[in-house]
Amino acid sequence: MARYRVAYAQNGPARWIGHLDIMRAFARAARRAGLPLAYTRGFNPRPKMSFAAPLPVGMRGENEYVDLELEETLPTSEVARYLRHALPPGLELLAVRRVPDGAPAPMSVLDRARYLCHGTLTEVLPPAEIEDRLASFLARGEIWVARRNGEQPRDIRPGIRSIAVRSADGEISLAMELKAGSQGNVRPEEVLRALSEVLPLDPDSFDLARTALIARDGRLLWDCGKVLERNAQRNSGDFT
Amino acid sequence: MVKIDHLLSRVEKPGRYVGGEFNAVVKEWDGVDVKIAFAFPDVYEVGMSHLGLHILYDTVNRRPDALMERVFAPWPDMEHLMRREGIPLFALESRRPLCEFDVVAFTLPYELTYSNVVNMLDLAGLPLAAAARDDRYPLVIAGGPCAFNPEPLADFIDVFFIGEGEEGIHDFIDAFQAGRRQALTRRELLLVLAKMPGFYVPELYRVSYRENGGIASITPATGGIPARVRRRLVHDLDAAPFPTRPIVPYLSPVHDRAVLEVFRGCTRGCRFCQAGMIYRPVRERSMDRLLGLAEELLRQTGYDELSLASLSTVDYTRLRELLAALDARYRRERVSLSLPSLRADAFAVDIARTIQEVRKSTLTFAPEAGTQRLRNVINKQVTEEDLLRAVEAAFRAGWLRVKLYFMLGLPTETDADVEGIAALARKVLEVGRECGVPKGRLSVTVSVASFVPKAHSPFQWEPQAPLEVLAARQARLKELLRGPGLAFHWHDPRTSFLEAVFARGDRRLGAVLREARARGCRFDGWREHFRYEAWLEAFSAAGLAPENYAYRRYDYDEILPWEHIDSGVSKEFLAVEHRRALRGEVTVDCRGGVCTGCGVCPALDAAPRLEVGAGGAV
Repeated sequence: MARYRVAYAQNGPARWIGHLDIMRAFARAARRAGLPLAYTRGFNPRPKMSFAAPLPVGMRGENEYVDLELEETLPTSEVARYLRHALPPGLELLAVRRVPDGAPAPMSVLDRARYLCHGTLTEVLPPAEIEDRLASFLARGEIWVARRNGEQPRDIRPGIRSIAVRSADGEISLAMELKAGSQGNVRPEEVLRALSEVLPLDPDSFDLARTALIARDGRLLWDCGKVLERNAQRNSGDFT
Repeated sequence: MVKIDHLLSRVEKPGRYVGGEFNAVVKEWDGVDVKIAFAFPDVYEVGMSHLGLHILYDTVNRRPDALMERVFAPWPDMEHLMRREGIPLFALESRRPLCEFDVVAFTLPYELTYSNVVNMLDLAGLPLAAAARDDRYPLVIAGGPCAFNPEPLADFIDVFFIGEGEEGIHDFIDAFQAGRRQALTRRELLLVLAKMPGFYVPELYRVSYRENGGIASITPATGGIPARVRRRLVHDLDAAPFPTRPIVPYLSPVHDRAVLEVFRGCTRGCRFCQAGMIYRPVRERSMDRLLGLAEELLRQTGYDELSLASLSTVDYTRLRELLAALDARYRRERVSLSLPSLRADAFAVDIARTIQEVRKSTLTFAPEAGTQRLRNVINKQVTEEDLLRAVEAAFRAGWLRVKLYFMLGLPTETDADVEGIAALARKVLEVGRECGVPKGRLSVTVSVASFVPKAHSPFQWEPQAPLEVLAARQARLKELLRGPGLAFHWHDPRTSFLEAVFARGDRRLGAVLREARARGCRFDGWREHFRYEAWLEAFSAAGLAPENYAYRRYDYDEILPWEHIDSGVSKEFLAVEHRRALRGEVTVDCRGGVCTGCGVCPALDAAPRLEVGAGGAV
């Protein structure tokens, strides 16, 4: 058994595809690539794949990760080469590295994610004014938002780690770092919706991209597992 | 190119509209001479399961001088947004509006998609009437099984293609290019096409009617075109191209697996079945060819399931050998094999057992009728004993659930036949108990559809049973099937009624389709969208009574609305079969070597092609 972490970008048509369908697409790509996927035991064997975090439908992913388990050890360059051509358009392979067997699943170390949200202001404001409004927004102790369909409102402020803004000519870019994972996850749409009360923007018209997935210790998820690997076979991820 | 990204976050399944799947072909628009949009009049997930789409997409896109892209009926949520924003219907690959294509090619898989065909023309911004479209618009062609009675859509379609399209599509593209070189007008091109075998141009045929509503005559309106349009077929299936690089959708289609067409045609001769007539004769692919195709198909798609498709795969001459060879090659790669439908006999169960060792979910059989008498009428040559032995084998092999398909309203059906369905289901249940299937897990599901008389089948003259009769029989059956271990499913007989109207309809129904579309009818095969009242209004607005099509017994000597479409099977044979049905006489399958005289081989210069089996035949 050998575990590989695959970094990929999800864009173009693939951003409109739900997570379950992306999982299936990866399994099929691995089969087309001829990779010897390991399977779970039991009546319904499934390929051993572990995704870091489902990407919401409509969002681009610039640096997503999935761990694949193979029955044989192959050079990472070979895994990358086979898989790259087998992936459908919109799933772009960035890099492959070995992960030691004992390393935690990427999902279990995920703590937060970075997003880039780009859109148009419905009314032009000077950049300084935008920054002031954002600063007072962040200065609030609590920010209550409800997700769409009549869900209980909840306080997302604890999940907002940082928001930086750049604006010019009525265009606005927001770089956010938000809590991610199974506990206290905050979605950029929720932040935009709350922000739309203080800034002239239409949250639905924004282009959203997830740019980084980060572990509790502040490292990229890509790098998690390297420490464990230190004494093991050196086969770290050269960006192919 | 249309912009749709801002709509996508607001629809249920945006993946239906974005394309970009593995193996999708996106050609450089300007470098290609003939541009065809393949239009499937149902939702993406249904259309992507349609083998015909993959075959034609592959056939056309292999040509450097032509391209084929796809378009499906947008689900009503998307349609609503497109109409609101004035976005025309577009093809997935290039996102170009349909009106920029040279040709829009519909496939017509079932009658309940007709409102979608008309609605898609409207969404594309094309004038609905073929006669109203001039040289500025794409040519609208249509094929598929429903083209065998093209008349209800005659107003809307420029050219119908009758039969199997692998070769005909090339003839079409060649003719289209030649027409362009010669600067032919649309009308001139239609005349050229109408002279080619398999191409039917409805506006070049005149239909006149009798006072009683029937048809007085169907005649060519111009010289040099045939009185009857003869179906095209592929003589040598082994030599025909097969799509081994089909598009692998992201979204799960209805059938999410690799499809290998094992043979074409079926000569079992079920008398209600249109497919069993219009795809004759049986042409089996050779086992070598199948193994080669399977290998390429699995490599190019990554599917872990291979479906061996045909109208009756268990009949493939070398089935056992084929399954054994596939199993030997792909078991290690965890490829599972599936058969789309099972014959109700022990051999079929044995086959199913060999390919489904682990996941034994539900086994489905289609006895179609509840008594031997009625099974003889429909020529479904399965006995009660066959079925009971089959289910016994299934239960003993570990299956817990059996599903039985029946039809209600078959010709000559009586209450006794309806009761026979329930009795048969109870016997199956009893067999399950005797085989020791645990009580809580044993289940027998009876699923009933309503009989719809279809053009070109021996029952084409038969009326459909009235709605009240179908409803009463369903209710009766529901009552009889109460009890532990039994479940009952039925289809809305009103959709079957509509299906019957269009299956045997004539071109006057074009007016009804317009009226229905204007009233918002679409996706009629989907319960949540079927609007029966709106359809009745549409009929009355068009001044036509649907009962005259669905409930009328057509005469043997009457000119049928599809009289000018020649499937190769003779009308005399269909009439003989119909008479034999009423006498309860069965007709053999010509696979056994005895010709039943259907006429298709001499008419189409064809012959059955069976794999010469080394011990595979049963």
